[in-house]
Parts: sequence; C-alpha cells; structure tokens
Amino acid sequence: MIKAIQYLFYTELLLSLRRSQEWLYPIGFFIIVICLFPLAFTPDPIFLQQYFPGCIWIAALLASLLSLENLFLRDVDDGSLDQILLSHISPTLIFLIKILTKWLVTVLPLILLTPILALLFQLSLYSTLALCISLLLGTPILILLGCFGVALTIGLKQQGVLLGFLILPLSIPVLIFGVNIVQYSQMGLPIAGSVAFLAGICLLTITFLPVTISATLRMGLDDVY
Amino acid sequence: MTIQATFSATHLTCFRQNRALFTDVNIAIYPKHILSVEGPNGAGKSSLLRILSGLTTPCSGSIYWQGQDIEHERETFLHAMHYLGHRNGIKLGLSVQENLTLIQHQLLITEKPAYDVILEKLNLTLYRNTLVNHLSAGQKRRVALAKLLLFPKPLWIVDEPLTSLDHDTQLFFLSALTTHLQLGGMAIITSHQPFKLDDVVISTLRLGT
Repeated sequence: MIKAIQYLFYTELLLSLRRSQEWLYPIGFFIIVICLFPLAFTPDPIFLQQYFPGCIWIAALLASLLSLENLFLRDVDDGSLDQILLSHISPTLIFLIKILTKWLVTVLPLILLTPILALLFQLSLYSTLALCISLLLGTPILILLGCFGVALTIGLKQQGVLLGFLILPLSIPVLIFGVNIVQYSQMGLPIAGSVAFLAGICLLTITFLPVTISATLRMGLDDVY
Repeated sequence: MTIQATFSATHLTCFRQNRALFTDVNIAIYPKHILSVEGPNGAGKSSLLRILSGLTTPCSGSIYWQGQDIEHERETFLHAMHYLGHRNGIKLGLSVQENLTLIQHQLLITEKPAYDVILEKLNLTLYRNTLVNHLSAGQKRRVALAKLLLFPKPLWIVDEPLTSLDHDTQLFFLSALTTHLQLGGMAIITSHQPFKLDDVVISTLRLGT
C-alpha cells in the first residue's frame, strides 16, 4: 500500500514536471503581476511596503486559479479518471495525492520566490516570515477549493469564468486572515490568533474537501458521458 | 433449481437528456460465457457498459456479482472486474512501462507480472520506454489492453476492443479472449466488427431496436 502510494505520487510528480507549462506559467504570471503593482500605483516604498502583502496574496490567488482549470479535465479526456474510480486504492486518497502534487508543483515555487520579491519591496524580515507562513497555510485551502470548483463543473467543457465565480467568493476568508497576519506583523502586534484561524480552516478543508471532491467527481462523470 | 448467475443485472434503465436509451435490460452471465452487446451508434452500448462496471448509477435496476449487489459489495466486485472504455485510461505523459507499473500499483498488486512476455506478444517491446504520447492510436490501444493480460481477473468489460488494432493484434486479442473464457472467465464486449471465437458460445444483446 505504502509502495503504491509512493509510486502514484512519483508518477504524478513526473507528469507535472514533464509538462513545463504546469509549473512555469504560474511562476511567470506571479512575477509579472507582482511587478505590475508598483507601476500601477506609485513607486513610493512606504506605500508599497504597506500594500505588498495584499498584492502577493491576490497574485497567488489568481496564479493558483489559472493553473487549476485543466486538472481533472485531462484525466477525464484520457479516461484515467474512470480507472481511478475503479482502482483498488480509495479514490479519495488518489485525489489527495493529485492535489498535493499540484500544490507542490505550482504553489510551493511561488512561496519560495516570495522572500526574494519581498526584498524588492523592502519588507522587514519578520513580516516576510509572517507572509510566508500565511501563504503556507492559506494556499492549500485555495487549491482545495479550486479543485472542488473544478469537480463541480466537470460536466462543462468550458468552465473558465464560472470557476472564478464559484471559487473566489469562497476564498475571501482566506484572503482576510492571510493579509491580516502580515499587517499585524508590520504593526508589531501578535499574529498567533490569525495564524490559528488560518491553520484551522486549512485543517478543515484538508479533512473534508478530498472526500467531497471524490464524491462530486463520481457524480459529475455521469454528465460527461 | 436454477443455477445462480455469477454476474447479473435486472431491469436496468438509462435515461439521457430525458430520453430513454434503454429500458428493462436483463443480463445473466456464467463462467465461460461472453456477452456481445450490439446496436447502432447512440443505442447506449457504452452507457450500459459504464453502468455494468459500476461507474455510473443506473436510473433503475440493480447489478449483482455472485449474488451481492455491487453498490454494497463494491470492493469485492472491483477486485474481480477489468473495465476498459473507448478511452484508453492511460497517461500520455508516461512511458509504456510507467503506465503499466502505475496500473499495477493502482490494483495493489505487489509481485511483478511477466511484463516482458506480454509486451513481446503485443509488439511493444521496442516502445517500452517511449512516451505513450508518441505512439500511434493502435499502439495506445495495445498498451491499454495489456492490463487485461497482465493482471488476470474473472470479468472483462471492454468497449470496442478491436477498434484501431491491426489484423494480427485483433487475432491475438481474440485468442487471448478465448483462453480467458476457457479458464472460466467472463466477458462483456461491444464490437461493430463481427468476430468469431472457437468453442465459445457468444450470447448477444441487441440495444436500440
């Protein structure tokens, strides 16, 4: 069983890395959006320091949304979703592995890049740390919500904008707590409360959403065929 | 007293877009039996196969494996059944060997099956480490069919197995199917091409008439 899970994880990783657009597009998108903010607002460093966390969060949100669209659609197209639903490992576990790989490949590089971008905006070390923690806890929620949205709309061939309508309102709490953490850290206030809230939401989604996604996909497949 | 069928389905009904594809379909399959599902395009052959494999829930009716409803004994049924739709269910971004190993792990089979022998028989030895993306349609189909031979299970549910295969591979598949049936296996197959199997009784279900 452990060996099977390891191999599934390995092949998912292999598939994602072989398709360079999977991990390259979100990084490129993220960097460009971040660089556009000072041009659109003002190059004033104090102003930017204040608004940078928000920019990062919006950019991360959009980058993760952008990369999600074809997550399960490709599996539907080549028929491997059927085989997952019929496999002897619980489909929920396989979807969890898929979602985890998705996060590792598309979102983790963005979080690793954040300290470098924070340097450009002259963010303090403490705030950068707070920002990274908030992203580490918040982005899994975004990805899971996104996957749920994709699963709900699997019967449609063109889900693009609808996916945004479905997911973005649901991600508002994540955004509020995520940005809150950084703002508190900039003001020198304790961040533990917001971190705990975000970690709570994160745990909740990791516990419940994979099961929901698996059930939704199974029902959604009826509409595809 | 009648012998209980190993795999049976009663009163299956399937609706698509408020139109009945088929109503009240009954199926009974015994070891060494093969059921060929026939019918024109859009008659619901693929939908029936998806229902029989437990992928889609039928609008009404039940399916039984060894007398147990597959909704309740899903695990047991999945261990006994291979489903292969008209989509191959293999990943284009993985090589032939990687795909087969992935299937092996998805089926939780620990000992390595005789990959060399089966790949040789399917003329895939040369392409073992080639990405499936670079193979032709017929070669992709052969990779998908390989799992039926590599991991023996009593019931095969296969949609259009002969499509896009060349003549030799078609013959090879039919002979493999015959062996499977003679060993006590069962199969449900749709095919537009008429096929003949030696020493095997083929029962036919016609949809859309």
